Amino acid sequence: MIRDITIGQFYPVDSIIHILDARIKIIATFIYIISLFIMDSFIAYGFVILALALVIKSSKVPLSFMLRGIKSIFIIILFTAFLNVFTTTEGNVIFKAGFITITSKGVYMAVLMCLRLVLLIVGSSLMTLTTTPIQLTDGIEYILRPLKKIGVPSHEIAMMMTIALRFIPILLDETDKIMKAQQARGADFDTGNIIQKAKSLVPILVPLFISAFRRADELAMAMEARCYNGAENRTRMNVMHFQSRDYKALVVVIIYTVLSFVLRYIF
Amino acid sequence: MDMVKAKGLTYEYKRMVDTDEGTKEEKFLALKNVNIAIEKGEFVAVLGHNGSGKSTFAKHINALVKPTEGTLWIKGFDTKNDEFVWDIRQSAGMVFQNPDNQLVATVVEEDIAFGPENLGLDSKEIHNRVDSALDTVRMQEYRKNSPSKLSGGQKQRIAIAGVLAMKPDCIVLDEPTAMLDPLGRKDVIETVMRLNREEGITIVLITHYMDEAVRADRVFVIDDGDVVMEGVPKEIFCQVDKLKGYGLDVPQVTEVSNMLSKKGIDIAKDVLNVDDMVSEICRIKGIEANLSEIKRDVPLDTDALKKEAEERFDGSENFDGIQIKNLTHIYNPGTTFEKKALDDVNISIKRGEFIGIIGHTGSGKSTLIQHLNAIMTPTNGGIFLDGTDIFADKTKLKSVRQRVGLVFQYPEHQLFEMTIYKDVAFGPTNMKLPEDEIKRRVKSALETVGLSEKYYEKSPFELSGGQKRRVAIAGVLAMEPEVLVLDEPTAGLDPKGRDEILDAVKKMQEKLGITVILVSHSMEDVAKLVSRIVVMHRGRCVMTGTPREVFARVDEIEKMGLAAPQISYVFEKLNNIGISVPKDVYTTDEAADVLYKLLSEKGGEN
Repeated sequence: MIRDITIGQFYPVDSIIHILDARIKIIATFIYIISLFIMDSFIAYGFVILALALVIKSSKVPLSFMLRGIKSIFIIILFTAFLNVFTTTEGNVIFKAGFITITSKGVYMAVLMCLRLVLLIVGSSLMTLTTTPIQLTDGIEYILRPLKKIGVPSHEIAMMMTIALRFIPILLDETDKIMKAQQARGADFDTGNIIQKAKSLVPILVPLFISAFRRADELAMAMEARCYNGAENRTRMNVMHFQSRDYKALVVVIIYTVLSFVLRYIF
Repeated sequence: MDMVKAKGLTYEYKRMVDTDEGTKEEKFLALKNVNIAIEKGEFVAVLGHNGSGKSTFAKHINALVKPTEGTLWIKGFDTKNDEFVWDIRQSAGMVFQNPDNQLVATVVEEDIAFGPENLGLDSKEIHNRVDSALDTVRMQEYRKNSPSKLSGGQKQRIAIAGVLAMKPDCIVLDEPTAMLDPLGRKDVIETVMRLNREEGITIVLITHYMDEAVRADRVFVIDDGDVVMEGVPKEIFCQVDKLKGYGLDVPQVTEVSNMLSKKGIDIAKDVLNVDDMVSEICRIKGIEANLSEIKRDVPLDTDALKKEAEERFDGSENFDGIQIKNLTHIYNPGTTFEKKALDDVNISIKRGEFIGIIGHTGSGKSTLIQHLNAIMTPTNGGIFLDGTDIFADKTKLKSVRQRVGLVFQYPEHQLFEMTIYKDVAFGPTNMKLPEDEIKRRVKSALETVGLSEKYYEKSPFELSGGQKRRVAIAGVLAMEPEVLVLDEPTAGLDPKGRDEILDAVKKMQEKLGITVILVSHSMEDVAKLVSRIVVMHRGRCVMTGTPREVFARVDEIEKMGLAAPQISYVFEKLNNIGISVPKDVYTTDEAADVLYKLLSEKGGEN
């Protein structure tokens, strides 16, 4: 199940999208998400799908790999569809049985919402699939840097993300070990009612938290020992530079933005 | 100028102590008036049992902790002066015990760059330094990898590279090998030696492993915050009894030479390694010592070894004990990550036997033992307990887990209850036993591991490392299993903690008559305790036999990346020189007996 979630995974191939500056990818994804929410016609979505398809094609990430990410949120999509179909009462009634009313507007909304959700997932996972976590956090740090003046701790946010990414696999491993160890002592995580199940988590969560705190403590000391003193005087090994391809990508993003607004007001 | 100089260094901290009138704050001295001078370019080893103050000393060198009294100068910088903190941390880098908890970034090269980035160097200089640090620790090919994909030894080398990239004059290593397997340990220590010999970097190595300390220029022994011994390794290690009194160990050969010397043999007491020992014996016997490396060009035929080992497999249907039959386990079958962890393993273990399983990391040991109590399910084959397949009836898995107790590596990490009593009672409570039976079992389990009643109401988190581990073992023991499996029970402990655990294990095997399966990297531990050894290699069982039989096959064992006890090598070399001694000696007591006979004979001839 955890393996099926494609958001946050990196897909290592050489493509024009992969080598773009992370900042441009973050901004593009942001604009893309906004465009999804301002559009509400199928023609406009046709344009979005076309644009997305072009980007996916040039990213060289197989479509099947991306669609695997949708599988894990299939339930949520289904739920959204049901909610829209059954709660919308406007429009022409096309089916009525007892208290269930299905209207044309409802079906239209359901399809639109599902489409929006799928495009949202595919689009944002495309960003993480083509950008290494390190570039991503660096990009976020750069983008947030102007906000430092109003008190946004851009460096700290980026450092937190880096450490989280570093320790997620370690803690997952640890959870697995602790679960096995408690199972060996006769713990049962599968049977019983909700309260019993919640109680059975205590022998996992307590050691996990203790371990996380111990690790945090040791890591903090190791960072200090390596002269870490926050963002002050800190430089980076890999400095981000906009290259001509990044400016070209920026032009594409601007064209996309303009077209989105045009489509929004025409249809 | 001295690299490190301590004058009257004292460190005091407050801790909570239980007294009759409740918990009270008490002052405690971790370091007492320490006076040490370490020259530039020296390789110094610091020894001491857990809690002796040696880690506190290490942290002082990096200015992570500041002296309460006295002064510590690093390269002439007073650590008490806040102005110099960054100079000190740059010139005296530090490597810690846990490989995972000191790497920051998700890519190797980014992690090495972390230090130089903090120093505010420009991008080009950082690239150069990362490059040369990767070369020095010989990890260039891993630069784009994620640290989580590396082995423990490789991670430690990355941690060392991270310090190197800051161009330090001195590196302090706080038990860098405690959590590693023998191969990883070797890699790390060789890297450290190279840094000292070739780059001229001052090394302060804090360790429990005497074979590492004997390679240092100078050794300090710290006990209860005091520097109690100081000198070159030969001076320190010949004082075997004194060292043991401080809860420390000596190399096996040193112990043997001291035993011989006590019996009146005129042998040097400062024998530190196999070659020293062999040349001493040759000197006494008046033979010219040939100390050339032993060539090991025996091909390793694992198919033949596996077949040979299987001849000893008892597959009968009414077997009294555990049978592992055709056990195969494949991880992630059908994907690109497919990995065969176990390949047709056949082992039979009789009730009451004491078995040792050895094998290097990735040989399938851990996967194997997790099948024994049905925590993992086999891809093929099965486990038979008294002739019954444990996987046949899925509803009975819980009772299998009660019959086969499994103590994982670092078991103290699963402690979670408020009191020791409650934690040990977790297993029996899960078995839904009556209250008085639970009580009886908890008491008897804690008694077996050597913890008296006064500990019952204490929190397990107040205990020392070795004690915590004994509580965790008691937690499995309280389920009164017929078979007890222990995965690396001594990992990361100091010699004293290790001996306490091994004594407890030995006692329970004798007293309770249960089958014990001990998985270990430490050949010395295995040699001392078990009656039969199982050797795993690349998912296969390639040898079974008594320690004597197994350790006599040093050639093949070495080929598998394992090592026999130190004593075995002495006897192998003696044989090669032409001195006729049995080849299968592996414990210190036996070695002392055999060598005593050999060496006193000579006196008779004269």
